[in-house]
Order: sequence, then C-alpha cells, then structure tokens
Amino acid sequence: MVRSRRLLSLLALLLGFTLIAASCGSDDDSGSEGENGTDEETEVPEGGDLVLGAEQEPDCVDWISSCAGASWGYWTINVNTMPRAYDVVADGDGWAYTPSILLDGEPELETDPQQVVTYRISEDAVWSDGEPITSSDFKYTWEQITTGEDIYDPTGYVNIESVDDSDPAVAVVTFSEVYAGWKGLFGGGYGIYPSHILEGEDRNAAMANGYDFSGGPWILEAWNKGSEIVLVPNENYWGEQPKLDSVTFQIITDTSAEFSAFSSGSVEAIYPQPQLDVVDAINEGIDGNSSFSAETGNIEALWMNNDAFPFDSLAVRQAFAYSLDRDAIVEALFGGLGITEAWNTLNPPIQEAFTDQEAFADYTLDLEQVDTLMTGDGWEKNGDGIWEKDGETATIEFITTSGNARRERTQEIVIEQAGEAGFEVTTNNQEAGTFFGQLLPDGDYQLGLYAQVLTTLDPSTCNLFCSQNIPSEDNDFSGQNWQRVNVPELDPLLTTLDNSLDEAERATAGKDADGVMAENLISLPLDPLPNILLWSDNIVGPVADNPILGPFSNMNEWGLA
Amino acid sequence: MFFYVLRRLLISIPVVLIASFLLFWFVRETFDPTARLRTSRDPTVIQRETERLGLDKPIPVQYGKWLKEFVKGDWGTSNRTREPVTDMVRRALWNTVQLIFWGIVVSAFLAVAVGVFSAVRQYTIPDYVLTGLSYIAIAMPPFWFGLLAINLAAFKIPEWFDLDERPVDFVGLHSARKSGFNKDYLRHLVLPVMTLSVQIIGSWSRFQRAAMLDVLSADYIRTARAKGVPRGKVIFKHGVRNALIPLITVMAVDIGLLFGGLLVTEQIFSIAGMGKMFVDALLQGDIAVLEAWMIVVAIFVIVFNLLADLIYSVLDPRIRLS
Amino acid sequence: MTAVAAGSGTGAADLPAPPEAPPRSQWQLFRRRFLHHKLAVFGLIVIVILYVLVFGASFWVPNDPLEQDVLLGTQPPSGEHWFGTDQLGRDYFARVIYAGQISLKIGLAVAIISTVVGALAGAIAGFFGGLVDQILMRVTDLFLIVPAIAILAIALKKFGGTDIVIILVLAGLGWMSIARVVRGQVLSVKEKEFVEAARAIGASNGRIIFRHILPNCIGPIVVNATLAIAIAIVTESTLSFLGFGVQKPDTSWGNMLYDAKGNVRFDEHLLYFPGLFILITVLCVNFVGDGLRDAFDPQSRR
Repeated sequence: MVRSRRLLSLLALLLGFTLIAASCGSDDDSGSEGENGTDEETEVPEGGDLVLGAEQEPDCVDWISSCAGASWGYWTINVNTMPRAYDVVADGDGWAYTPSILLDGEPELETDPQQVVTYRISEDAVWSDGEPITSSDFKYTWEQITTGEDIYDPTGYVNIESVDDSDPAVAVVTFSEVYAGWKGLFGGGYGIYPSHILEGEDRNAAMANGYDFSGGPWILEAWNKGSEIVLVPNENYWGEQPKLDSVTFQIITDTSAEFSAFSSGSVEAIYPQPQLDVVDAINEGIDGNSSFSAETGNIEALWMNNDAFPFDSLAVRQAFAYSLDRDAIVEALFGGLGITEAWNTLNPPIQEAFTDQEAFADYTLDLEQVDTLMTGDGWEKNGDGIWEKDGETATIEFITTSGNARRERTQEIVIEQAGEAGFEVTTNNQEAGTFFGQLLPDGDYQLGLYAQVLTTLDPSTCNLFCSQNIPSEDNDFSGQNWQRVNVPELDPLLTTLDNSLDEAERATAGKDADGVMAENLISLPLDPLPNILLWSDNIVGPVADNPILGPFSNMNEWGLA
Repeated sequence: MFFYVLRRLLISIPVVLIASFLLFWFVRETFDPTARLRTSRDPTVIQRETERLGLDKPIPVQYGKWLKEFVKGDWGTSNRTREPVTDMVRRALWNTVQLIFWGIVVSAFLAVAVGVFSAVRQYTIPDYVLTGLSYIAIAMPPFWFGLLAINLAAFKIPEWFDLDERPVDFVGLHSARKSGFNKDYLRHLVLPVMTLSVQIIGSWSRFQRAAMLDVLSADYIRTARAKGVPRGKVIFKHGVRNALIPLITVMAVDIGLLFGGLLVTEQIFSIAGMGKMFVDALLQGDIAVLEAWMIVVAIFVIVFNLLADLIYSVLDPRIRLS
Repeated sequence: MTAVAAGSGTGAADLPAPPEAPPRSQWQLFRRRFLHHKLAVFGLIVIVILYVLVFGASFWVPNDPLEQDVLLGTQPPSGEHWFGTDQLGRDYFARVIYAGQISLKIGLAVAIISTVVGALAGAIAGFFGGLVDQILMRVTDLFLIVPAIAILAIALKKFGGTDIVIILVLAGLGWMSIARVVRGQVLSVKEKEFVEAARAIGASNGRIIFRHILPNCIGPIVVNATLAIAIAIVTESTLSFLGFGVQKPDTSWGNMLYDAKGNVRFDEHLLYFPGLFILITVLCVNFVGDGLRDAFDPQSRR
C-alpha cells in the first residue's frame, strides 16, 4: 500500500502542478475573481459521490428554533440550502462581508433619521420549486424570528421596526433602534425562509426533521439520524451548478474515530476539533492535505467568575494569571500546528480590527508577582504550601465540558502549574448541557474552560461583558455575562463597539475596551482554537476553511478525482 | 406450556415497572430537563417546558403521567432532538438487532465448534492453544479488543502485507449511501461483531467444552461406542446434541451481557444503535429515550429467557415446563 | 454486574455443593489440590507480585507520574522511558503503575464488600426463606433484566466518579450474584443432619448461620470473591472508557485507555500498555479462581 500510495500522491502532485499552471495561465484575463472563483472549473471532474465526515449532528434543522444552535448543522445543511443576504469571503489577511448571489449589488444603508436597509433581490434567485425569492420571504423570516415561539436568539431582528414587501424584488428593512451588525441579519445562523411554502404552516413541524426546499446549491435529500446526511444538487440553483452527484456527511461523533476514518480513507475530508492526537498525527505526517487556521471566530479562555471567591478579588485573578506559563500551554496543545504563543485578547482573531492584540501580553509566568500580589491581598501560604486567608484556602474548582480530551489535558497542565504557585485547583467536569445551561448562567463555578464561537464578523461583546447583561431578574436571567464582569468604565466602551455605525469609532472603542479588560483581568485568554481541515487528494477544487460559513459552503465547485 | 409462558410474563411486569420507576426518579433527580433551554433568549420557553413535562408536580405523579401515555403508545419526544421516541427506537433497534443477531450466530457457532473440538481432542496441543485463547478472550476488556482490532486490521495488516485496500471497515454498518446484504456490509460487520462477542465466545466455548466432556464420559455414549457405533457419529449424534442443552440456558442469561456490550461496541464503531442511543441519552438526561431504551431491552431479555426455556424443553423431553 | 459475571465466570455459579463440611484434615487436601493446579499457582504469584509492585510504587518507580514536560510531548518507549511518554510528556510507565493503584484497589475493595454483604444476605435469605427471600430474589431479578453496565453508568452519573463511589456502586451490584449462589448453597445445607443437630441442642440462629452454614459454603464464596476482583476491574475500565468512571486527576487503567482511544494509528504504545495490564491481571485472577474451584470441588471439571 505504501508504495502504491506514493505513486498516487506523485500523480496527484503532478496533476496539482498542472492545475496551478492552468489557473495561473488564465488568471490574467479573469482577474478579480478572488479566492473562491479560481478558474479551475474546466478541470474539475463531473459526477461522483463524495463522502465527508461530520463530527456532530444537529438536534434539529429548524434553524430559528432553540434546538438548532449547533455549528455542524449550519456548516453542513444551512449554508448549502438556505439563501442568505451576505457571504463572508477572505479579504487580505482577514474576512469581510460581501453581498451574496441572492442580491443585486450592495444594499443601500440609510442612517438618518432611522437606520433603513434596502435589499434588491436578484431576478434570477429562485427556490428549488422554481418560485422566485421575494421580499415577502424577508418579511416572513423577520416575523418568525421575532414573534415565533422557542426562538434561538432574536438579537438584531428585534431592532427591526418593519419590513416593506410591496415590491417583491425589493425588501426595505426599517430599524427602530440602530443595529451595527446588520450585515449578519437575513443570513447568519438562520438564512431566509420561503414564505410561499411555510406561511400559515407550523414552521417547526415542517422543518425540524428535514425539509426539501432549497435556495442554495444543494437540497437535503436524506437525513438518516445518527448515521448520515445526504445532499444532492438543486437543479434550479441560479448560481454555479454542483458537479458532484451527491455529498454524504457520515456522522462520526467521536473525534478519534473520525480521524481514524479519514486516515483509513473511509471519508474524504474531516473538520475535526483540534484534539491532541489529531495534532500529533498531522505532525507525524498523514496522507492527504491539511490546512489549519488560527484566523478563527473562536476564543478559548480560562473564564473566571468575577463574583465568586477567590476570583472576586482582582489581586487573586492577576496572581493566578502570573502563575501560568500560557505560552507553554498553547505550545503543548497546538505546537504541532506551529502555534506557540498564547492569545492575548478576549476577542477572536476575525475581529482583529476592533482588537488590541497585545492587551494581555504582560501576564506571563512570574512567581514573584504571584507572591507580591497574594501577600498584598492578605494571603499567606499554609503548611501545604497553599495560599490561605481568614481560614479559607485558595482552592479553585476548574470546570469544563466532560469528554473533551484536549480540555482535560489543558486542565491537567493548569493544575500542575497553578499548584506550583500555591493554588489548589480541582476539577468537576460536566456535560455541555449542564455546563452551559446551568453552571455558567447561574454563576455556579469559579473557573471555566470553554471557547466562545462567533458566528458573525461583527462584535457583540457587550452581550458578554456589560454589567447589565449579568444574568438577573431584569433580563429574565438570560444575560450572557456569565463571568459577572462589572467594570463601570467598560460598559460605555462596549456599547459604542456594538452599536456605532462609525467603523473608526468602533475600532477605538474596541481597543480601549481590551485595555480595560486586561487591566481588570476579567478572564484570561488562552488560544484562538485553530480550525483544522483535512482532505484527501481525491477532492479537486477550491477547498478552504471559512471561519464563519465553515469549509463546506463552496462544495458546488468541488469535484472528485 | 401456554400458562407457563403467561405466568412468567406476568411475573416480569412488576419487575419492569419498578425498574422503570427507579430510572425515572433517578434521572429526574439528576438532570434538569430545562437546563439546555437556558441559553434561549425567550424566557417563556422554560416555563412552557416545565408545564409540558409537569416538572412542578411530585415525581410519582410525573411518572404516572408518563406511564399512562407510554402504555397508550405515546412514548414521548426526546428533549434533545424533539423527535418522537418511537421513531428513534425503531431506527436504533434495527441496527442493534443486526449486531445482536450476528453476534449470537457467530458466538454460538464458534463456541460450539471450539468447545467440541477441544473436548474431543482433550489434552492435545490444539486443545491447549484454544483453551488458552478462550482464557484470553474472557479476560480481555471488549473495548480494548475493539481498538486493537482497528489498529491491526485497518492499519497494521495493510501495512505489513502491503495491501492496496484495507480488509475491513470500521465506521457504521454500511458505506455511505449503501445498504443491503453485500460485501460492503460484511466488511463493516466483522470488527463490531467480533468486539461484541469476544468475551462470550471465550466463556461459551469453555462451557461447551466442559459440557461436552461430561457427555462424552456418560454411560449412554460408552454404550453406544460399545455397540460399535462409529466415533464420529457418536460425537455428533449423541454428544453435541446433549451438550448443547446446558449451553442454551447460559446463552439466554448472556443476552443481557450482549446488550451491555453494545454500549462500547457502538461507540467505537460509530453505529447508531440502541447502545449509542443510551449513552447519548444518558449524557443529556433524555428521560423519554432512557425509559424506552430500558423497557425495550427488558422485553428483549425476558423474551430470550422464555425462548431459551422453550428450546430447552424441546431439546430435553425430560423437562416439563409448569 | 451479574451480566459481566456470566462472561468471565460462567460456571462458577453452577457449582454443586461441597459434599460435606471440609474437616480440618481436608485443608491439606485442598492445599495440595490447589498447588497441583500450575496455572493457578502461577496466577497467584503474578497477582501478588503485581499488588506489591503497584502499591509499593513510590519505593521503586524511578519517575514521578505527575511530572510534566509539556514541550516533550508523546515519545515512544525508550531506555529512559520504558513505556514512552504521554502527550504531556509524563513517564508512561510510572503512570501505568500508579494507575494500577486505583484499578487494583477498586478490584479488591469491591470483591471484599460484595462478598461480605452477598454472603450474609444470601445466608439470611436462604435460612429464613419467606418474605426476605422473596425480596432478595425479586431484586436480583431486576438486575438480571437490565444490563448491569447501564445501571452502573446511570448510578455513576448520579453520584459522581470518585473511587469510593465507584467501589460502592460496583459492590452494590456485585453482592447480588454472590447472594444468589450462597442462598442456593444454604438451601441445600440447612436440611443436613448437623444443622438439625445444632438446632436440637438449642444453638441460636446466628450461631447456626456463622458456625455451621457459612463455613460449609466457603468454596463457592471464595471462588466468586476471586472472580469478583476480575469483574470489578474490567467493569471499572469499561465505565471509565465510556466516560462515566474515575474522574481526573485520579487515573485508572480504563481512564488511560479512554485517553488513548485515538491512538489506533499513531503512538499506539499509549493504547497497548494499560490494556495489557488489565488483561494480565484479569487473566491471572481467573486462573486463581479456577484453581480454587478445583481445589474446593475436585469433581468439577476443568
């Protein structure tokens, strides 16, 4: 096998060179197509059934409902079947919104006296049944998200006052309150819904277990729960027709098993969590291609409960930060991917424009600082070498989602390092449901390890760190400030960051906010949780990760060798 | 016979009811079914769910309500996927039944073959080797066996023998978009079925060997041999048949073990069957699914035990069921 | 646990009663028969050595199982690290040996607790019969119907995965199979003449149970106790593999395999060693169990 594989990869390499040569040759006359539109169309073979691995399966595919919050449902089915107003494309080093194929050019934005966005819908845009996509679909979408029951998250849509659908080709959206992240609306995790099919129906019942309409390149043909999701081309798609006959996502929920399946050739591509054995194996060399990107919408941090002993003391939070060698932790976890330095802001990489990337850089391993800060705060080391104050020890319960090997490993390193500095760290890991649904909202934790995953390019940082969003009776306990951050000078900065329509003003506010967060050490950033995409040489076409849309949003351009 | 079966079934009912109540109580005490709704921005969701499940009422009342609906055929919906539990069970059960079926067939065949062979060739080198292997099979944690099997069959063997294609698959029961009984199915079946049955093959073959030795030393075998019946005929006509009888009871008892083994097997080989459904449901505190799982498994075990009794009485006419 | 018991100890429960109470002189007979069983002797020696080495680890294992070298990462076995290192650069040999402390402790503790409880419960149920007996039989029925591993997973989910809880939960299920065996023994022994005789001279029930009945059941009790060690170790490792068992930072062999389940293609040493230790331990315990069975009951066939 080894020998024949080599021969194959040599062939593939040669083929690859020809492809590059071809695309270079034709690049001159096509010019501005950008990364997604390389002129390989003539080279990409027609037909074939592609099998990919999916690590999770959505609980349901009624995207608006609270059961559909899972990223995997979005990456596999949503982006391929639901029309959206904006795409996210690579823009220099970063990522930017660009109007999707649904729209006729950039929508018009008015800000005075009210925020009004006018979307012009392409006349080619049709649903899979041939009916045109209209402004009524925009209106229906907004109505469902704001008035429906059991909605995942109506943020942004609640700012909308009305959607005018008098002209089917033009949707005029009027906001009652300014919403800076408007480009994430009518898309994001939701998409746009076909009013002519769903109007008057029970949307949840019609969609939850699968739906057969589509406004994207693919149609959901079958969803055999627990085993596979099958997509077939949407013949009526007005953009580029898929070349493959079908794409099947095989559901393999165990990262290790998924990885084994890829390395044995059972599936052609996987998008696994960056578990240690995966990173190790990439490092040791596996067949096929891999790309890993730290340019993600993720931010993994040691999230501290600013309201619970002992992290209710700034000195203790800082001392704890100085007890860790974060660079070593990150190198141990992701060194195999070339990521060797800790992340130093609580914003994810894709929000670089609003971020002070070095805000937390001063928090490096410094045991003297630990001693100074702790003794200054009235702590003394007891007989076991653990800090103690008024009879209470600096014991920290460190919680993460159980079953995640990488996070458990991270915990083991933190326990060891913080232990050296006199903090007693214990663990009590919980299921994701309990962790995110109970412990974090209730503030029933001291230190947590998890990643915030952003699904839009626009910051909504105030949701996370403004004092009015601490879960309380005022916000029906639905506030997302689980760290109980209460820093008065932070609130106005984050409000500006979230709500201003002036990009420069937002950037300054964001950078200042980062400084304030670091100064108050509201939590300790660790890493941007790199996205890893692995695919075999059999896949031909522009395979690339997209931090928002995921890696499967351009499968209509893929082929199978 | 009919009354025997009826009585056995009637005795089982209270046992299953008690077990299902304990499970209900346990899960309700451990999990808050509204926890996962907390991230929703809609505060009425939790209240509605609380009312729907009657969470404000005492647990026996909740259980009574659930039981009433369950008996009527409404098995509830999963609080994770909102899917009717009956659909989930039907889907999972089909995969599991395949595994169990092949597991029993393979185990019984191998165990009887090994057991009889070992007994007939008692104290020869093949007997020692097979006995040693069955000791190892019994002592081996099945999940470790499964991982080793993947390691060897999917990676090491193709590497050592320079194979172009790995001989077996280890994800699911079919390749994507394939179904039916074909080579693809068999390639997928080998490793999970071996993992599921390795311990059982070990213990059944030891049992079968002992039973066979008992039979071979029995008077009627010696009589038959003395009458001049050929050795092979004696072994198969009288020996194997009589030695199978005790194995049948052991097999029935071990059906529960097979269901337990499914938990790890389906996990390792990504098979969407009852074992995986149970583990997923337990992690989420998905009470309707857990209850349905337990009752279906209990019915399976009870039916298999009854079946074993019946077969037993057919094979051994001296036994009367009463 | 009954379900798993059937796997590793089929036949143990089907023991015929020892014909008579073994008189003192039979001890020598028993010992001779046991020593005659070479595999059992070999198994016993290995087990004893294993327990001594594992629990005396701090006296002889050169490396600290907790000492990390995160930048070193996973290394294959070498002269310096006999079993290589794990992903945090910890010495894998030291980790396997120290993890044995948890696994072996659980095995032994579960066997002791479930044997004591099971023998008492079985003796009482068999001796007095009636309601007590009915309750015992129905409770054990309950656990024959639902797979033990599932019950254990649910229980551990509820009570958390500390070693004490795991021991109690495993023992909570394990005592039943022993109780059933002992009950069967008691039923056949209690009609024997020497029990009648004891009763006739006015011995109390407690005295009859402890002095006359239990000693006559010693064979099956000891055999099942031995097998209970093996069952407990395998069950614990299976639960840990499913994520319901011992929680970190405590580490058992099952726990290590849970961490190594991705190592089917690369760094397989992480997968091989902990499993090998479980295999050897269980194998040897089963050998000893077989030897004991033959020694107590020479008629039973191997």
